[in-house]
Amino acid sequence: MDFIFVFEQVLNGLGYGLMLFLIAAGLTLVFGIMDTMNLAHGSLYMAGAYIAARVHESSGSFAGAVLLAVLLTVVVAVVLEALIIRHLYRRDHLVQVLATFGIILIADDAVKAIWGVAPLLASTPAALAGPIEVFPGLPYPAYRLLLIAAGLLVALGLYALVHGTRIGMLVRAGASNRQMAEFMGVRVGAVFAFVFALGAALAALAGAMMAPISAVQIGMGEAILIPALVVIVIGGIGSIRGAFVAALLVGLVDTAGRAFLPPALRAVLPPALAAELGPALAGIAMYVLMAAVLALKPAGLFPARA
Amino acid sequence: MTPSFVSRPSFAARHAGVLRRLPWLVLAVLALFPLLAPLFGVEYYVGFMRRVMIVAIAAASLNFILGYGGMAALGHAGFIGVGAYTVVALVEAGVASAWLAWGCALVGGGVFAALIGAVSLRTRGVYFIMITLAFAQMLYYLAVSLRTYGGDDGYGLYTPLTLGAGFDTAHPQLFYWVVLALAALVFAVFSRVAHARYGHALRGIRDNETRMVALGYPVYRLKLAGFVAAGAVAGLAGGLLASHNAFVSPGLMHWTQSALLLVMVMLGGAGRRWGAALGVALWLTLEEALKMYTDYWHWPLGLLLLLIVFHAQQGLAGLFGSRAQADVGGQGADVAGEVDGAAQERAGSAEA
Amino acid sequence: MSLFVADGLVKRFGGLLATDHVSLTVEAGEIHALIGPNGAGKSTLVNLISGLLPADAGRVLLDGTDLSTLAPHQRARAGLGRCFQITSVFRNDSVRDNLLLAVQAQAGSSFRCLRRRDSERELMARALELAAQLGLTAVLERPAGTLPHGVQKQLDVALALASRPRLLLLDEPMAGMGPEDSLQMLGLIERLRGDTAILLIEHDMDAVFQLADRISVLVYGRVLTSGDAAHVKAHPEVQAVYLGTEAA
Repeated sequence: MDFIFVFEQVLNGLGYGLMLFLIAAGLTLVFGIMDTMNLAHGSLYMAGAYIAARVHESSGSFAGAVLLAVLLTVVVAVVLEALIIRHLYRRDHLVQVLATFGIILIADDAVKAIWGVAPLLASTPAALAGPIEVFPGLPYPAYRLLLIAAGLLVALGLYALVHGTRIGMLVRAGASNRQMAEFMGVRVGAVFAFVFALGAALAALAGAMMAPISAVQIGMGEAILIPALVVIVIGGIGSIRGAFVAALLVGLVDTAGRAFLPPALRAVLPPALAAELGPALAGIAMYVLMAAVLALKPAGLFPARA
Repeated sequence: MTPSFVSRPSFAARHAGVLRRLPWLVLAVLALFPLLAPLFGVEYYVGFMRRVMIVAIAAASLNFILGYGGMAALGHAGFIGVGAYTVVALVEAGVASAWLAWGCALVGGGVFAALIGAVSLRTRGVYFIMITLAFAQMLYYLAVSLRTYGGDDGYGLYTPLTLGAGFDTAHPQLFYWVVLALAALVFAVFSRVAHARYGHALRGIRDNETRMVALGYPVYRLKLAGFVAAGAVAGLAGGLLASHNAFVSPGLMHWTQSALLLVMVMLGGAGRRWGAALGVALWLTLEEALKMYTDYWHWPLGLLLLLIVFHAQQGLAGLFGSRAQADVGGQGADVAGEVDGAAQERAGSAEA
Repeated sequence: MSLFVADGLVKRFGGLLATDHVSLTVEAGEIHALIGPNGAGKSTLVNLISGLLPADAGRVLLDGTDLSTLAPHQRARAGLGRCFQITSVFRNDSVRDNLLLAVQAQAGSSFRCLRRRDSERELMARALELAAQLGLTAVLERPAGTLPHGVQKQLDVALALASRPRLLLLDEPMAGMGPEDSLQMLGLIERLRGDTAILLIEHDMDAVFQLADRISVLVYGRVLTSGDAAHVKAHPEVQAVYLGTEAA
């Protein structure tokens, strides 16, 4: 196991973690501010991936495809918020699970009707198809570097938005004490709608960016939802900073688990046992991480409500 | 959610006599179904009904902790998986008796529920939902990695298990009747327990946990006992499902299966005696019927969920609006709301 | 030795010392009132005694037995009954079911699974006895949540009394009550005198001076002074920090 391989895995983990952050950011805000459990958040991620893949294929412009995917998904999200989500804010978490699970079922069928059952093969933009020599001896796919750069940029932008603007202040006020925010005359409904649309935009961006390096298929939203939920629980529900730290942590732990655990086990265990145990332990690494964090800090690393 | 003291005569009050006999009538019809089905050329549905009853057993166990105990577990499919893989492991080891295999599935589900519950029940609210989900995901990945039992591809159970006296689970009617008997037993026991001291204590915890502690109830142990019982029954359902499908795969434990089980219980009416059975029967029947006509059978079910959420908050059983069906106390109030209310009261008393 | 002893209880919330080495005793049959301005840490103290909050230091003894290491439900079983400042009953259940649940808590095991609870005669008899004792017989079938506030509070007390506690913790039983309901609660507590020792937390000074055998004044988490009504009324510091503001 050489240094190059380790570095490569760290970059992979970073990229995955940043994409998880984009998804988790919206989820944690919706959860923290509206106290709403939205299982259908993954469906917005799926919408972003499908739209970007198809637009990129037919137009040839990757940037345009990503932009259109984000815009269209936001439109869908605004309609969704007005029709359904808005009426769930004050309901019980279980009712929210019921309703948003219903949205998942409808969304999956809608995608099937529009784009068919077969997974889409999304291509990386031609200009970024090749590797870049990060430093001598480590070629790394250019597209994955773009992923990392975009993720970091959005994280910075989000931080600036939440901590540097008036709307961000309202969002933070809502997250830490909703009743107080309402009492102070904040137009809570408008803030909620904005936050939901923002979360949808980030999820769609993640979907569009992930499309070329993952399978664009029905069910991808349900698959990404669980790691995203793990991230927001570890980070502390409602905390953007927590989501960022937890997303990188989960991204690195998950990637490292898959890359290093199987060979490590092979070194100490009989091969047959190692072959069975390796993937299992790698798969559950992030859940063990979550259980450990909750055991030490029951409200996550950065509780939004002190 | 505000219970009205003076209520109009409910559906149940007006038809109390019929409703009391209805379960027996349903039981008789279900028992005769495998004999009558061939006369109408619908033998296929004997297998379908068998599946409905098995899933109803699992749903009943979830209803017990969710509806009565207020424990919103989003990992119940994990215990179904434990039961199913227990049967697989025993078959692989050469066990042929269905009773032994299913018995071990029951015990296996209970043991895993004891371990998972002991940790999870120390958390509350959303964190409880999430941690039960996380444990179920761990079981899922464990199953995926078990290459001995087929890993991702699953494991086929090609030899039927013996039921004794020369019969086995390949016998279409006999296996059906066994499942029916077990389902009837499970529903009878849960219903009995609901009216006994334990059931009252469990509902008390659901409605106002802090008060129960102050009254001297060992709340944690009471909840854990319910969680273990529910896990064991779900394990049994998993064992039966393994025999029914003659196939077991990690997909049984995917989180969407846990969510689906939760959805079916809520659909039927959480905390109501027949809620789980109603929810499962309706959901699986709709699924079956829609699949006959269209490939797009998910969205009508999704729409149904939204309709339930916005127009029938107490589930199907709630549409009949009755105390008889609400199963002692509760006043037919939205169980989910009560869970929430208890949480608020906890918060309130903590601040005080 | 006193029936109940709290010995050097300490509770910190972050940097705030909410309970600062509080010691007090309650004798058998005594009504001991705890007064103090808002934020003095009265409710925190009740929660420390009943175990809902873990204490950072100090001991709680009932009849010479140390309860400090026991979980809240074990303290309840050992003889500590309590009511809540915010009325805490089972709102959707009838008064009868509320009482049955309270009676069941300490009459044998609650893990019984097969016998119908409502067919257990001893439980029912005790529940009806409690209802009679607290004047709830007329509303037995009413869902608790539909009762007037004062009656709900009576039910709250009934739930706490179900186990025949050695010490009853009453956390502001008259909070939010009109004069009529307050008078009724006053009569109820007066009738309990002698049957059970009571630690009474109350804002209503008239009620406290009328009911209490002894009064302790809690200010900023510390016991300022303890004694009978005359002693407390005469205490200069009490007049300054408490009665003074009350009078003004």
